Amino acid sequence: MTIADRLSFLWPEIILFGATCGVMMLGLSKHRSTRKLCAPVSGIALIAAGVAAWLTTPGPDTVTAQTGQLLFPGLALYGKGMIAVVGVLMLLLVAGTVDRADEEHIAARRARFNPLSSNRAEFYSFFLFSLTGLMLCAGADDLIWLFLALELTSLPTYIMVTMSGASAGSWMAWRNKSQEAGVKYFFLGALGAAVFLYGFALIYGGTGSTNLNEISDHIAHQGLNSLTMTGLLLALAGLGFKVAAVPMHFYTADVYEGAAAPVSAFLAFTPKTAGFLGIILLCGCMGWNYPPHGLAEAPSAAGLWSPDPAGNSLPEPIRLMLWVIAALTMTVGNVLAILQNSIKRLLAYSSIAHSGYMLVGVMVGPGAADGPFGKNGVAAVLFYLFCYGVMNLGAFAVVAVLERTPGRLADAQPGEVHEIESIDELRGLCRTRPLLGWVMAICSLSLLGLPPLVGFFAKAPLFTSAISAGEITLVVVLGINSAIAAYYYLRLVRCVMLEDPDPASPPTNESPFGSRRLAGVLSAAGVLVLAVGGNAVMRTAHHAAAYRAADATDARHADLHRPDPSPGQARAATDAP
Amino acid sequence: MQVTLIDLATSSVAAALAAETPAAAASGTPGAGARLMLIVPVLTLLGTVLCGLCAALRVKSKLPAWTTVALLAGSFAAVAATFSRGEGVLSPVIAHGFEWISIAWGGWGSGGLGHGITANFSFYVDSLTLLWMLFVTGLATLIALYASEYMSHDAGTGYCRFFAGFNLFVFSMSCLVMADNLVLLYLGWEGVGLCSYLLIGYFYKKPSAVAAAKKAFIVNRIGDLGLALGIFLIYVQFGSVEYATVFEAARPYIDSFRSGDFAAIPAAVQLIPILLMVGAFGKSAQLPLYVWLPDAMEGPTPVSALIHAATMVTAGVYLIARTYPLFLCSEHALPVVAWVGTLTALLAATIGMAQFDIKRIMAYSTVSQLGYMFAGLGALTSVGAAFHVLTHAFFKALLFLCCGAVMHGFAGQLDLRRLSGLIRVPGWKVVGVGMLIGCANLAGFPFTAGFFSKDMILAEAFVTPGMAPIGWLLLLTAGLTAYYTFRVFFRVFVGPVSFEPGDEVHSHAHDEAHTHGHSSDHANTHDQAPAHASTAHGHFHPHAPGWAINTVLVILSGLSIAAAGLYFMGPHGGWVASMIHHSSADLPAAIGEHPSHGSFLGMDPHKVMYYVSAVVGFAGIAAAFILHYAGRTSAATSRRADTLSDRLGVIARAARAKWYVDEVYDYLIRTPLWVLSHVFHLVDKLIVDGLVDLFGWLPRAFGRSIRPSQSGVLHGYAVGMAGGLAVILLIVLLVAW
Repeated sequence: MTIADRLSFLWPEIILFGATCGVMMLGLSKHRSTRKLCAPVSGIALIAAGVAAWLTTPGPDTVTAQTGQLLFPGLALYGKGMIAVVGVLMLLLVAGTVDRADEEHIAARRARFNPLSSNRAEFYSFFLFSLTGLMLCAGADDLIWLFLALELTSLPTYIMVTMSGASAGSWMAWRNKSQEAGVKYFFLGALGAAVFLYGFALIYGGTGSTNLNEISDHIAHQGLNSLTMTGLLLALAGLGFKVAAVPMHFYTADVYEGAAAPVSAFLAFTPKTAGFLGIILLCGCMGWNYPPHGLAEAPSAAGLWSPDPAGNSLPEPIRLMLWVIAALTMTVGNVLAILQNSIKRLLAYSSIAHSGYMLVGVMVGPGAADGPFGKNGVAAVLFYLFCYGVMNLGAFAVVAVLERTPGRLADAQPGEVHEIESIDELRGLCRTRPLLGWVMAICSLSLLGLPPLVGFFAKAPLFTSAISAGEITLVVVLGINSAIAAYYYLRLVRCVMLEDPDPASPPTNESPFGSRRLAGVLSAAGVLVLAVGGNAVMRTAHHAAAYRAADATDARHADLHRPDPSPGQARAATDAP
Repeated sequence: MQVTLIDLATSSVAAALAAETPAAAASGTPGAGARLMLIVPVLTLLGTVLCGLCAALRVKSKLPAWTTVALLAGSFAAVAATFSRGEGVLSPVIAHGFEWISIAWGGWGSGGLGHGITANFSFYVDSLTLLWMLFVTGLATLIALYASEYMSHDAGTGYCRFFAGFNLFVFSMSCLVMADNLVLLYLGWEGVGLCSYLLIGYFYKKPSAVAAAKKAFIVNRIGDLGLALGIFLIYVQFGSVEYATVFEAARPYIDSFRSGDFAAIPAAVQLIPILLMVGAFGKSAQLPLYVWLPDAMEGPTPVSALIHAATMVTAGVYLIARTYPLFLCSEHALPVVAWVGTLTALLAATIGMAQFDIKRIMAYSTVSQLGYMFAGLGALTSVGAAFHVLTHAFFKALLFLCCGAVMHGFAGQLDLRRLSGLIRVPGWKVVGVGMLIGCANLAGFPFTAGFFSKDMILAEAFVTPGMAPIGWLLLLTAGLTAYYTFRVFFRVFVGPVSFEPGDEVHSHAHDEAHTHGHSSDHANTHDQAPAHASTAHGHFHPHAPGWAINTVLVILSGLSIAAAGLYFMGPHGGWVASMIHHSSADLPAAIGEHPSHGSFLGMDPHKVMYYVSAVVGFAGIAAAFILHYAGRTSAATSRRADTLSDRLGVIARAARAKWYVDEVYDYLIRTPLWVLSHVFHLVDKLIVDGLVDLFGWLPRAFGRSIRPSQSGVLHGYAVGMAGGLAVILLIVLLVAW
């Protein structure tokens, strides 16, 4: 396959990259009106990328030279579409995160535009860069591609975290907090990347290829050797950093708290999605067709874990690791969330817990080839990612809209704002600001998984697919954790709906950026709309999770004869040149 | 006796099911045409949103009313078009909306019963559905038009709120009636309950309205619990909640019933209809759950007419008719339905005889007539029940709207001792004639629609073996009904002209009506107010109903009369029978050819019942004439009636006090519950709270114990990550390598 062939599937990414370059220039313009174009241009680019994905990315049903080689032929289309939709919502939310004080000074003619101190260009271009990387993850078919895409997703976020604190103007403590968060995030992120990169290297060492499809074939025919197994274990654990899974979760709360709320919302979706796409692809490499737990005679005499056509589980070590990580992640996330008083830390820990839920779906796998949605764990994860992106955004949007009145701070400067911190500051929101209060209530209840809302319809398939796979203990853990989560989500709901405004907390006002409010309202509306009409998305997710398992029919006899390439003719044909 | 009854029932249902099987198979491929029915929920939901928007934009005009009327008329047109195209009339068609709930679990690759649940937003359109939808949407349109004038005193947010609730009600009702599965039916069921609550409590500043709304909601909760349990049990037993599948799965049980082999039917299956029945009794106000309906008259009269007389309260009848095959799986279900219906009919009629509030009398008569419908269902005449639902919907809506016009015009006055001779007050002729037509129907005056539909139930009660006592009781009730119906007419609409206005207690909102709402519209009426009225009652002068109210009354009067014609359209029960014939409630097809007729005093009930019930009805009307018209000189008293009630003493007082049912419930249920709740409260505080606190404490303690790991120190985190990874890899190595 030539490079031109590959590029033809990358129109969404190319569009985003072009917009990235454009935004970087626009943001440095001397004219205020030109600088203001950054956000609209980004938005148009995201929409265009979504449309381009719709038009050019092949769906699961069109078998082309490109998709014929992918493990999940529909994943790229679904992933890119989801990223474009949630990306637009996130873009609405990040308005005014950087340069707010500077712009106000310039508008008031107290200062002149200084390109060196302006962050707008970088901020929006990094935003788009990160989403470009995320889209690349969705279409990855190679370990190196996957690694680069993951890092392209993450690296800009380190800087966005650091920059976001600058919105507080000269308030040094706030800026320090975000800088501390950024540095922490960067170092720990590097550590996490090192772990999964090491894993990738071992996988290459064990299979002799970096192409996911070839790795998959290799594993299907020759089984997993110890080297590949070690590599996969490390790679999956390392990707746990992106999704904030135990034991890679430590950074989450500090970073979410240090970053401005819109950036925290961005972090809760973007790296997490990248991580899950990577995890799904890696699991797809080995397939979910190993003898189930207990029946495993593995490792076989040759030290191999061999796929079995009758199997329905990941290889035992991987399954066990994901089991432990999933159980720990949701439990740690939830119990720590209970203890929080800071709204952003609470949402950060809840984000950890949601990763734990989704790991259950990955562990369970796509199930039988033509199985229903409810038995397809991968489809459940893909749907959950989208729903989580929408409903979590709504909760963060409320935090982003509310800001403390600057007048109360002694050293208040014009344009200086301060985000709310404590949950108590949300008290009585339904009465004082009904719109925001209801957004918060709806999104919290949906995050909790209350039946009529989309959170329930997203979580139910995780349960049913895990039951189908016989992971009853894990389902019980999942159930208990959902109950624990109810404690703090209902606390949020009670706060906004039932309690009186707290006279002790400083008065708040609403952010002048109406688009943030719009993002919140759209998210809450999305939660309601998806609850009724989510089936279309579910069906798309179900298609996207269509898994083209490598032929393992003759894996058992792999040492007797290498199979002829006839089962995978499409593949063989494209391999020929 | 019982065996023959069942035998008769099962054979006909088996025949019905046999007829339905190919239809059910055909319905697997969604019928394209019946998709028109999907417009109904869309339009009504749109109406709710638009009315909400009007409220948000503070629209003061009648815009929400006209929007509602237009959208509901559109809904009716959609239903009528579907019907006229014959879609779903002969065999059920499924109009597929969208996938709503589709959950699967269980073993890999296996997908049989008990491994998933599917409840789509799809409509099961058959003739029963169409019958119900035709009158629901049709009446809703008319009553919305009526309400546009009736509610005009509340123009503004209240007006929008009313019509938003009105639209939401029709939406919920259409979900309930058209659902192709029990879960969607339950959604509609709860939806109509919610709308009923919201609209009863429309005057939410009035304590009695709020109390009535709460009462309706809570009493319905008991019924809804039964329905929910019934649905759960259906799912457990039959592995599905979709009608087509459930009815198919119930066939073996019906067959074993036919052979009289009761032991072959699991107790759980026999329990299903009992549970469903509880739901139906709650929604349709039957014993012992009828107490909410009379109080529900606190709502605006259009609501009473539409929701609490014509449509929502027939949902119970619909439920039983829809799930008729399941009711035939139980030995006792239908006899219980028949008896409960009969006793309710009798009890409510006796209470209705002694009330003075005309709207309340109509409410008790609704309870009583619903009892007839249940008796009809229990006596195996689903045609009679459905026909009575249809005729009752027209004439009871008409009666309520007439009462509403009176209430509207006389400042909330509803006491029949304070109103008299209204038909002779200028501008009230239409209302008076409408009332007469409605009363004649309700009383079963010969050749009215109510006469035919009631006869059908009465006759079948005598025909069906073992149901003769029910027939006698229903016949007695028919006489009582005729009496209390014409009691209202003779007291309020004829006789000496005399009236006095209502007070705030009856309607605080109507005061406003006279201060702003109508003062300009009716300035002319006020100027030309009848002299006798102003002399007798200070400055009060009733304002006669306007064109919207009169139009609706005329149309409804016409419909009530015309409904009688349906009886002659086609053999054996007319048009309604031909509708029921092709639905899941199809049972009476066999009744007509039933070889062993029961008898009425040795005669064929089908032939003599016309004369018998006509005589009984005349007797009731005559009693009302003698007691309340002949020789009555004032509004407040009627010498003969008062003498009679004095003679009856305790009985009359008890009937007036509604047989103290509310008090008994209070004593038997509320007081023990109150005591029990305090006991539970103590237990909760002393024991349960402790346990809960313990369980609540556990995660917190766990959280606290791991909290120090979140120290915020960078290298601490790095060590945590590396160490955690090492530990997890070690576990994997030791356990699973």
